[in-house]
Amino acid sequence: MTRALRSYSAELLLVVLIVLAAIWSSQLSPYFLDTNNLMNSAAFFVVFGLMAFGLFPIVVQGEIDISLASTLAVASVLFAKLSVAGVPVLVALPVVLATTAALGAINGLLVAYAGLPSLAVTLGTLGAYRGVAYLLAGDAGVTGLTKDYTFLGMSWIGVVPSTVVLFLIAALVIGVVMETTKFGRYSYAIGANPDASRSASVPVRQLRVGAYAIAGAMAGLAGFVWVNQYQSARGDNADGAILFVLTAVVLGGVSIKGGSGRALGVLLSTLLLATIQTGMKLANVPGTSQTLVIGLLLIASIGGPQLVSLIRTSVLRLRRSAQVGGEAGA
Amino acid sequence: MNSSSLLARLRLSGSGGAALRVRFIGVLAFQLLLVIVFTALAPRFLSWDNAQSILFTAAILAMAAAGQTLVVLTGNLDLSVGSIMGLVAYVVFDVSSQAHWLMAFTVPVAIGLGAVLGLINGVLVAYLKIPSMVATLGTLSVYRGLVSFYANAMEVTSGELPQWMRDLATARWLGVSSYVWIALAVVIVVGLALSQLPWGRKLYALGSNPRAAYYYGLNENGILVGAYVGAGAIAGFVGLLLGAQVGNINSLLAFGIEMQVLAAVVIGGVSIWGGSGSVYGAALGAIVLATINNGLVLVGVQEFYRLLFQGLAIVAAVAVDALVQKRVLTATHRRVILEVAA
Amino acid sequence: MSSSTRSIRIIGAAVAATLVATSLAACTTTPPGTSAAPASSGASAAATKVFMSPKFTGLAYFEVARKGGEQAAADLGLDFKYIGSDKAEATEQIATLTNAVAQKPNALVVSAIDGDAVAPALRTARAAGIKVVTYDADAAADARDLFVNQLSYELAATTMLDAALLNSPDGGLVAFISASPTAPNHTAHVKFMKQAIDTNPKYSKFKYVDTVQFAADDAQKSQDIALNLMQAHPDLKVIISSSAVSAPAAEQAIINAGKGGKVFATGVALPSSVKDFIKSGNSKAFMMWDPAELGYVATVAAAQLAQGKITAAKGTKIDCGKAGTYEVGDNGEVLYNKPLMFTADNIDKYNF
Repeated sequence: MTRALRSYSAELLLVVLIVLAAIWSSQLSPYFLDTNNLMNSAAFFVVFGLMAFGLFPIVVQGEIDISLASTLAVASVLFAKLSVAGVPVLVALPVVLATTAALGAINGLLVAYAGLPSLAVTLGTLGAYRGVAYLLAGDAGVTGLTKDYTFLGMSWIGVVPSTVVLFLIAALVIGVVMETTKFGRYSYAIGANPDASRSASVPVRQLRVGAYAIAGAMAGLAGFVWVNQYQSARGDNADGAILFVLTAVVLGGVSIKGGSGRALGVLLSTLLLATIQTGMKLANVPGTSQTLVIGLLLIASIGGPQLVSLIRTSVLRLRRSAQVGGEAGA
Repeated sequence: MNSSSLLARLRLSGSGGAALRVRFIGVLAFQLLLVIVFTALAPRFLSWDNAQSILFTAAILAMAAAGQTLVVLTGNLDLSVGSIMGLVAYVVFDVSSQAHWLMAFTVPVAIGLGAVLGLINGVLVAYLKIPSMVATLGTLSVYRGLVSFYANAMEVTSGELPQWMRDLATARWLGVSSYVWIALAVVIVVGLALSQLPWGRKLYALGSNPRAAYYYGLNENGILVGAYVGAGAIAGFVGLLLGAQVGNINSLLAFGIEMQVLAAVVIGGVSIWGGSGSVYGAALGAIVLATINNGLVLVGVQEFYRLLFQGLAIVAAVAVDALVQKRVLTATHRRVILEVAA
Repeated sequence: MSSSTRSIRIIGAAVAATLVATSLAACTTTPPGTSAAPASSGASAAATKVFMSPKFTGLAYFEVARKGGEQAAADLGLDFKYIGSDKAEATEQIATLTNAVAQKPNALVVSAIDGDAVAPALRTARAAGIKVVTYDADAAADARDLFVNQLSYELAATTMLDAALLNSPDGGLVAFISASPTAPNHTAHVKFMKQAIDTNPKYSKFKYVDTVQFAADDAQKSQDIALNLMQAHPDLKVIISSSAVSAPAAEQAIINAGKGGKVFATGVALPSSVKDFIKSGNSKAFMMWDPAELGYVATVAAAQLAQGKITAAKGTKIDCGKAGTYEVGDNGEVLYNKPLMFTADNIDKYNF
């Protein structure tokens, strides 16, 4: 029982933090504990959550992708343009998702087959794809989307916005894939020890490309949610969002070095960030404080446990040297 | 044999040095290619006046890239460089606008403040073992939040800056802008520190093979903290210069510059995995970026293409660099084995 | 495969299926539990609650407008809050507005960073009975009741050209720097400036560079662009920018390059940002308007709408006391139209 608890320690910590954050938020603002408000706020974070789940397998494999927000913009602009051109949404969806998966796969090919460092490659594609989004969008933005493209953003299932349900399904799928399929297990292996995996004839390169393609598709899905919620698209959509997405993944207990972390953790961290942000905004906390809180949270949540173990080892060391000194002196 | 002599054997003499030189040539070739293409498209590109303009716009980025190189060489990142630049510039100039006696000492104060901010980064990464991407992502937000809080949406206007710093931004020494000379000096000083000082060599050793460095008894934490302190100090200094160049400073100064700085470092052939590359390459990477910006305006190309070309340039530079590294690595591998066996 | 893997897969599939099934069955387009309209939509016992949301909170320009809003609140006895994020990102303002609506204010005063993306949130606000007034940067016309426009786009364009003429009476080559291609007011300004140069004899001495540069309100980028423009066009005389960050930054870049007094940057700028340039003689004129008064007027309009004292119909007169009286024009646009030209004669008068 304790072993199970310990292996889920990151997730448990997140749950505790979420509860604390919820209590704090409800103290900060009387509007927090309102189903409507909570649901609207939840809908806002779907876009970021989808990208976080797209990034998750890549980070587990020990790599990174900072171009996802730019891929989202390409998708949102494509969807908007197709809508205005009269293309039915059920045709546009597979086309755009395939395109963004291909954009992701380009990243994957450069990293896996050309052996280039993922941070550098995706730094390049971050700019390149953003430029493509601007080029496609042209001056101004794209508006006047048809109803079938924005239906999802204006519908509810019970009290829950449809986009939130979509997110939960997507998160569930990614989570199950990472836990139960070969892709998932090999991804963890690649992240933990890439050389051993290669020697064990794990198809490392194909899996890497696969992870990047999935991330691209998730960013494309996020772009779809974007046009649904905002009924418009511009080249600068989600510019800078990758920092928040990265925060969500890391906060979820996914090690940036790869090999560990759970989908559940990413879900919980997204929920935690959403709770804190919503609480602060509902209480009209000044923007600067919001920035500070998120930054401190990131450092504290990763550094905190390390600090604790550091203190523990130094205390142990002090005790041990006192013991030894005592024995020697006796 | 002891650790330092083995280190000396493994360091950049002969084989490793050749690797560096070849990587530098890669960036240089890329820059030459840009010059040729742009001159063909816009003859006005190839003039002393235009070259001066490019060098000036590259100066700030080149210095920031030099500081970042220290950290990247150890295999880490400093994403908070923009926030350090903005925080130091705003605070120092704001305080000096009220306490006029401080105006003569802005430079040492800025360097000191930047060093402190860098120290915090170093402690988080080295002692608390927070992965550098995470730690500096956090301090990016915290430092920016601090300056935002301090500034309270007000500007430090150009008239409130120390006159000597404003004059410095417009000064020309031997016909070349002072900022270009200062950037040159900073890059050379950092470059010399890395190649001549024992600390510098240890930095390379740590980055290229952390495990081996541990066994050779290198003080990993000390070196790492030193790298971050250096990067922070340089960032503070550069932030000050940027502030004087810009004139009116708000809390968003240098926001987002970390992406440009990383791009310059990467284009300049500094390996993101650590252990190889030089500040001269990083500085050249900054010049490459400035050249692209300048060339596109001269040719009259739309803004959107700038993003696209910059992004493609980064990917191309990294690809070239990887190719070069692979070739040289296999060559030096054989030589090192022979050396150690000897 | 192991039994735990199989069970996870089965559970996962079951949950997903349930979710999909309920979605298809329970899908509705009526928002659940529509909240009641806020308390005072007529005569009010409680103070009228007004929120002001700038594009983002880090710019001095918006702080000045804030003071105007706070003054209006003091004069009219409003419950006034200034809200927003310090990041210049559309998603941040959307989040701010979504959470603002949840607090059930009587009116929102908004300067939209992305007029289309914030539109759904503003429409939700209006549907809940909240009055929406935009200032400085408009949102989609059906998402707001009124738009208090500081200067009509044509007036802004001609005023900037007048400033350019003051700097360089002999005309010359002009280049434009805007914030982003998606800033509707900047795009409109440039369009009208080009038109005026082409057709208005007053500006016949000017020629312009067709390609517009974008600096995203970043000071350093504005400077680099200004330098590159001077390289690209050696006979460049004036750089014009609608961005209060870019115009002064470009002027500083010109001075840094040693071309102060030969090449000029002008356009929209806070007088405090350019006082030094004007006093030193490097620049002759910049323009703007009084952001505090703009904020004042927008807030008063919002409060009066919320209190039912006025409607958004064309021709309605809005009495803002000492700030003047304004009339609602086409499409709910209220033109403030009081440009200010800052020159050596009057720069000392202004303290913002």
